[in-house]
Amino acid sequence: MSYRYDREMTPPPAERASPVAITRFAHVFEVDPALMTEHVLQQVFPNWDTLRLVRSRADHLAWMHRHFAHTVISGEELLDDLD
Amino acid sequence: MFLEEWRDAAYNCFSSGHKFCREVCPVMQVTRNESWSPTAFHANVVAMEKGELEVSDVAADYVNCTGCGACELRCPNSLFTGDFYRFRTRTVDLVKAMRGLAVSEGVHQPGWQRWNRLTDQNSHEPVLDGVSQERVRDWADGLDLPVGGETILFVDCEAAFHRTSLPRAVARMLNLAGYTFGLMNEQWCCGGPAAEMGYGEQAQRFARHNLDDWRAHGVRRVLVLDPHDYITFTEDYPRYFGEEFDIEVVLVIELLASMVREGVLTPHVPVERSVTYHDPCRLNKRKGIWQEPRELLRSIPGLDFRDVDRVTQWSSCSGAGGGLAIEKPELTAKISAARVDKALELGVDTLVTACPWAERPLSEVGTIGVVDLHELLAESLGVGEP
Amino acid sequence: MTAVALSDPVVGELRRILGEPYVLTGKADRLNRARVPAPFPVHRWAERMPDVVVMPASTEEVAEVVALANRLRIPVVPRDGGTGLTDGAVPLRGGILLDVKRINQIKEIDLVNRTCTVGTGINALKLNEVLAAHDLFYPDDPASYPCSLVGGRIGTSGWSLIGSRYGHTRDLVLSFDHVLPTGKVIHVGDGIGGKITKSSSGYQLKHLFMGHQGTLGVATEATLKLFPKPEAEFSPFWAFEDYDSAYRAVGALARAGVATFAAAVLFDEWKVDYLRRDDEAYIPQPSSVKALVCAALYGYDDEVRAGGRRLMRIARDLGARYLGDEISQGDWAARHDRYATPLHGRTRAGQVVPMSWHCEDASITYANLPAVRLAWHEIAAELRRTSDVFDDWGMFAYTNGSTGADYLTEIDIGIWERRLDDASWAAWVKAKRDLAAVALRHGGSISACHGSCREGEVDLVPEELGGGYDIMLAVKRELDPNNIMNPGKYLLDRAYS
Ligand SMILES: Cc1cc2nc3c(=O)[nH]c(=O)nc-3n(C[C@H](O)[C@H](O)[C@H](O)COP(=O)(O)OP(=O)(O)OC[C@H]3O[C@@H](n4cnc5c(N)ncnc54)[C@H](O)[C@@H]3O)c2cc1C
Ligand code: SF4
Repeated sequence: MSYRYDREMTPPPAERASPVAITRFAHVFEVDPALMTEHVLQQVFPNWDTLRLVRSRADHLAWMHRHFAHTVISGEELLDDLD
Repeated sequence: MFLEEWRDAAYNCFSSGHKFCREVCPVMQVTRNESWSPTAFHANVVAMEKGELEVSDVAADYVNCTGCGACELRCPNSLFTGDFYRFRTRTVDLVKAMRGLAVSEGVHQPGWQRWNRLTDQNSHEPVLDGVSQERVRDWADGLDLPVGGETILFVDCEAAFHRTSLPRAVARMLNLAGYTFGLMNEQWCCGGPAAEMGYGEQAQRFARHNLDDWRAHGVRRVLVLDPHDYITFTEDYPRYFGEEFDIEVVLVIELLASMVREGVLTPHVPVERSVTYHDPCRLNKRKGIWQEPRELLRSIPGLDFRDVDRVTQWSSCSGAGGGLAIEKPELTAKISAARVDKALELGVDTLVTACPWAERPLSEVGTIGVVDLHELLAESLGVGEP
Repeated sequence: MTAVALSDPVVGELRRILGEPYVLTGKADRLNRARVPAPFPVHRWAERMPDVVVMPASTEEVAEVVALANRLRIPVVPRDGGTGLTDGAVPLRGGILLDVKRINQIKEIDLVNRTCTVGTGINALKLNEVLAAHDLFYPDDPASYPCSLVGGRIGTSGWSLIGSRYGHTRDLVLSFDHVLPTGKVIHVGDGIGGKITKSSSGYQLKHLFMGHQGTLGVATEATLKLFPKPEAEFSPFWAFEDYDSAYRAVGALARAGVATFAAAVLFDEWKVDYLRRDDEAYIPQPSSVKALVCAALYGYDDEVRAGGRRLMRIARDLGARYLGDEISQGDWAARHDRYATPLHGRTRAGQVVPMSWHCEDASITYANLPAVRLAWHEIAAELRRTSDVFDDWGMFAYTNGSTGADYLTEIDIGIWERRLDDASWAAWVKAKRDLAAVALRHGGSISACHGSCREGEVDLVPEELGGGYDIMLAVKRELDPNNIMNPGKYLLDRAYS
């Protein structure tokens, strides 16, 4: 909730997710940092900012659904109907 | 230096150029002038690198930004891939940097130059006549607040001198909750506005003063009620001081929301108003803080709260930020009028905000009541201004 | 023709018409209207600068500016959102850049006839935010939905993602006020225009004044067709183990004749590989996933459910694996502003580089999709073999209509614009010509949505249109006797030689 420099500047440890991607936060992928060492260097990225973007993305996508239609139908439900 | 620092970021937008940022930009919405779009702000850097433009050609264009952060959040390079690459669009920082470059090359905007000179003289922004260091704690007269302690309340210039009922409401609520805090020993302006208008040396001098003052007096935690201060303390200060900046920064709204959630504070006095909430840009867009204010509003009995979601509000702004109101008040007025019009469409009588800087231009539109969230909550807690 | 240097009297005259603040002569003002998102060598940027920028606020002001330009033989280039991908809004001969973004008012929402009338500087997403209060919806939905504007949609005769259900820009724009290259104002639509959606009276001129890339004038105020905002949306995504199965499935889905069907999209192997670089939905997919198909349905809940069940069955019977609600819903919602983000770019060694996005967008019949796909990837591979400046980002095929006859066939090519020198630009122009030639050879059209007036592809437009191109020249000469409207586009100078 509050801001502390050390807490924000220490990202969680990385786990490999694919040959080119890692994860640090649950369900959040990041590029393998080794791929950003020559032409584009990564920025200083406090943890709050990563989480802000992840949450804003989810909010934005939900907003887009609402913008185009009142409800969203579940394919899993329809698939169950088939059997 | 400037080009080296900004070239890659500028190319990242230049080679996109899709303008997903345009229709959320408060300035673009009311001016429709592509020269003042986030896209142009990035492309100009490329043009400077190619020798096509000088800073003096574009300095005045960079006035047209409130620093609201809508463009950089809405930009797919942030929203969709910023976290993935740890590389996002930073239009707000770029605008500040360009303004700084202009000042360093002697290209001043007259309003900003005067504002920052007066701020330097008085150690506070000239939000009113008679702003001075001696009067920075006047707002707290009669509240018996101690000076110093581990936790202090930092009150921005607008609230300390002009919107004094706001910090008073905050202080009374914290007292009611039994929360211990004091006032700062020698508070100066946070320096954020100077940094936004391009006066970087002054901004850092002010920041240094404040941090030294905190350290000298054993301050460990700073409470802030102004979203602009919150940005300055959580983005500018860490950039200036690195690890040395070991002060905890707490946004009062978040603190109050946790107090209500935990039952430490219980709003009980009904407030019979129909309201909508204006998300302060620096909270909603730049920090992702939008739930707590809504939690507080929903806790107030009697209130008819007609909400507009946070994503829709990425397109809204009071027009007050980024020094725009100082240099181009007519543009601020247009932006705030557009914001108020949207509120009026909901049929409410009150627009609630949580940013002292937003309140002046929104109130000046004159067609809707503007109330601060902290004060509204204080009223419902029975500790409102008598 | 050479660029016309604008003398101060012209600027003075423009200021008299528009007011001081709406005539811009600064270099930054002009440079920033000399670009669109399509890749172009950075070192040649200034070649495309206008001499002056004007920002009119009404049809009358546009007409006065155009009449002045016609009188003085000054080029005029209409520009709206500046998101067009065929350089339409970029001046090739200097002159006056006519920026219509200020003409963005909503003039009328007609609830009885279900239309609205707007200034062409308005954006569809912003319009829909207002229409939502009436539970209405304007369904022109390009992947530039949040940034393209109605005037540019008319100027390009754009393509909509959900066009298989609602139609494309040409179907959704009923009529508009149009300023001809002489400054004369006409109203264009079927017959009398206005709110009429079908007329057999006279020549059908609406098509002529759409998709001309600003070479025949400027649309200023348009009447649009509205629909009820859909009650329900369904957007299943399926995975396949090979392209052929996915190809068969997309065809079957499109041909199923489901009334709420709004779109189906096929992603090929290259596209799936590309998505595995940085897309959260596809990074964790097993390597057996080689191709994808998605569909979208809009309508009332009951009809979408019924149609959705039918499509789910068809896909399952053809070996599809449903990717689950989370991916399906998340990915579809991102399609309305599909992110062409530059950091997708990779050098051959795998390093991240910022690349511009080139989107080749031919219309190809269903039967020819597989052949065009292989020929196009070969062109991209040849570019990539020679240089890190180019990167193959894979292909999509999107249904153009509800019967599944033809598809917007898109190859996305990343181009490292910063390194785009004259030699690699020349290689790229040749590749563009080759890509267009493949489309024509397979009975396709060079462009389904953006238009085809960029270097390279434009050379083949006369061949594509045949005798129709001569009529284009005749029309241009007749309507724009002095070649002032967006000169240099579509090889239309030939009309005057
Ligand atoms: C990320 C992205 C995704 C895209 N996806 C799609 C898509 O799915 N479908 C699609 O169709 N396009 C797509 N495009 C291309 C582009 O958005 C469209 O071509 C759009 O119609 C252009 O609109 P604009 O307002 O930006 O026009 P501009 O780029 O400003 O202009 C386009 C052309 O129209 C002319 N013009 C502009 N205003 C007028 C006017 N008032 N009257 C007459 N002519 C005028 C211009 O001279 C120019 O030739 C995409 C672009 C991007 C960047
Ligand atoms: S700031 Fe982002 S959204 Fe705007 S043009 Fe640049 S890359 Fe596109």
